[in-house]
Amino acid sequence: MSDFAGMEDLLQDFLIEAGDLLSGVDNKLVDLERAPDDRNLLNEIFRGFHTIKGGAGFLNATELVTLCHLTENLFDNLRNGQLEITPEVMDVILEATGTVRDMFASLEQGTQPSPAEGELIGRLRQAIAGELAGGQSVADAGAEAPAAHAPAAASASPAGKAGPDWELLHGALVGVPALKEVREVKPPAAAVMPAAPVKAPEEVIKAATGRRASDKPGAAAPAGRREGEKQRDNSIRVDTTRLDQVLNLSGEIGLTKNRLNALRSDILSGRNDTETLHSLDLAVSQLDLLVSDLQNAVMKTRMQPIGRLFQKYPRIARDLARNMGKDVELVLAGEETEIDKTMIEDLADPIIHLIRNAVDHGVEDSAERTANGKPEKSIVRLEARQEGDHIVILVADDGRGMNAERLRAKAVEKGLITDEESNAMDERQSFNLVFLPGFSMAVQVSDVSGRGVGMDVVRTNIQKLNGNIEIQSVLGKGTTFVISLPLTLAILPVLLVRLGDQPFAVPLSMVREILPIEAREVQEVGGRATMVVRGEVLPILPLAGLLGWPLDRSPGYGVLMQTAEMSFILAIDSFAGREDAVIKSLDDFRPKGVAGVTTLSNGQIVLILDMKELLGSAGDQRWMSRLSLMAKKPVLAA
Amino acid sequence: MSDPKMKFLVVDDFSTMRRIVRNLLKELGFTNVDEAEDGAVALQKLNSAPFDFVVTDWNMPNMDGLTLLQTIRQTPHLKHLPVLMVTAEAKKENIIAAAQAGASGYIVKPFTAATMSEKLEKIFEKMGKKAAA
Repeated sequence: MSDFAGMEDLLQDFLIEAGDLLSGVDNKLVDLERAPDDRNLLNEIFRGFHTIKGGAGFLNATELVTLCHLTENLFDNLRNGQLEITPEVMDVILEATGTVRDMFASLEQGTQPSPAEGELIGRLRQAIAGELAGGQSVADAGAEAPAAHAPAAASASPAGKAGPDWELLHGALVGVPALKEVREVKPPAAAVMPAAPVKAPEEVIKAATGRRASDKPGAAAPAGRREGEKQRDNSIRVDTTRLDQVLNLSGEIGLTKNRLNALRSDILSGRNDTETLHSLDLAVSQLDLLVSDLQNAVMKTRMQPIGRLFQKYPRIARDLARNMGKDVELVLAGEETEIDKTMIEDLADPIIHLIRNAVDHGVEDSAERTANGKPEKSIVRLEARQEGDHIVILVADDGRGMNAERLRAKAVEKGLITDEESNAMDERQSFNLVFLPGFSMAVQVSDVSGRGVGMDVVRTNIQKLNGNIEIQSVLGKGTTFVISLPLTLAILPVLLVRLGDQPFAVPLSMVREILPIEAREVQEVGGRATMVVRGEVLPILPLAGLLGWPLDRSPGYGVLMQTAEMSFILAIDSFAGREDAVIKSLDDFRPKGVAGVTTLSNGQIVLILDMKELLGSAGDQRWMSRLSLMAKKPVLAA
Repeated sequence: MSDPKMKFLVVDDFSTMRRIVRNLLKELGFTNVDEAEDGAVALQKLNSAPFDFVVTDWNMPNMDGLTLLQTIRQTPHLKHLPVLMVTAEAKKENIIAAAQAGASGYIVKPFTAATMSEKLEKIFEKMGKKAAA
């Protein structure tokens, strides 16, 4: 079935580690374009390909080995100063890197990668020989380079260049059979440099960028990649010191458990003097502390620096900018910020889309920038930081900013909102229009964005992670997308609200404030019950109505909640405070509108509400009217 | 000489590779294996605990395998340690450089347990001779 029977573990390890390595290489390539003579960079990239080659050999991934070997040779010549980087050489390198990544994807599916395109191999060989269009070989290296890097030729005449010492040394070191082995490993390198026709630069660019068509957020591609990532989901790299901490804490808990056992025997045998009870108290509080430490420590094993994700993006931004003839630098910050591993994977696509969006729509082209007195090169900033119990991720550009009025006009034109709605919108709400399905600002549909799919998917994905996304934009200065996410998916801060005696939990991230609902403040606007809070007219949605319960009494309190689409007041009877809910999912049985359950400290089971789903199921809005909300008094009286 | 209790130090910056080498050594019956991710860390380990055998990669950040080898050969209490170079490079000049620096053996990736066993046997043989002489 798989080409790697018996090697699955090895393959998994290799893919994770080599994948990181390749992302690092990608990043360094972007840096290299800015500093083509940086020996350190060249060395590191060389080593990256070299290491991948070494590992691939053990997986018998011959095609990957061949490709890495050639690329490595090219970098060897570059770092030795025999060759210089030209845009053509850079393109070949980037294409080779892309192909290596494609090969990883194939390995991930458990199949040996197919050979790299002959055309690419040909261009790589040309580049190594310094014969690629525009590729200037330094001094007479053009003649020397291929010779120095065709080891088969060298080992075929062992006595040739190195003098008599060589055979002796070699014999002493590897023994005669090994010489044969060395020969066997190397023959492909002896192949003659094929004289593939030199391509026009435009074609080169097309080839280099076209290859990554599969990276683009089309409909099918991410789905395929998603599956691949799901496979990878199962393993995680954890710093051993963190594991040691978990081990240490569980040991401590074991000790405390023993202590409690001893105390129990004492108490059961009738000892209940102050000293025993005091020890019990101590042991229990110690256990308390240890358990919460353990929870933290276990959670930390799931935390990974977000830099691992960020690494991929400078390269993507570069390719995209180049494709569109813009000069954009992606600046990363806060790579060390740690975030739950599952979230890192689910963030990959939304962030790609935001970056594409920034490069495509956000920043202007050089001409427009110069005309506006801005520096020609635009900066897109990708930044992560922890704020309290949240992770905040920013994608900020210094481009033209968003025009609220034009956004509204566009939305009306597309029939997404009515004129009336449009007039009632403030700036923030107007920006949020871009998240509506079917909204696309691009006048001309470009290759990378502008299909109107994406932004709504971005928001949906972020919301799936219990996060939210907001837009800040200043016309002429730039746009910032702010993603805010909980630290982990396992623990959800909630607000406990009550309907009668029944408690429900709502995500605290959506709660803005709690206010009493006075019957005289409720007004009916357009057939809906609303309340004015600081000048804003907000609809009142009774929780009982959302749940399909009878509306037989007036609610006592309202919780002002904010989702990406709307702000509203959730009408409830009373509330019981906040809690950090440990979410237990309902695997087989999931009633609509219920995200999961949690247990309170007193053992009571509480349903955690999925507000988005509840609002979606609200369809029939009969219960929203003031009359039904206030059913008790006026209707009965009438 | 091939005492299964021999303590190996496997030096490579690629943890997958360390694991491969470790598994191969295990197949050959050597289970006492420690790891280091580059030459600098390896030297630290070598200086703080006794080891009987070093298997090192060539290309590593911080300190590469060749420098590690040279340093080992120049350190009085380490210079007798057998050092097996493991690398993807089969270039003549690399092999010569390794030989000149005093490598006990040189093995080209990828290799099997059998190849590794053969190299180790050769080294043990040589060491046995030296010890006898």
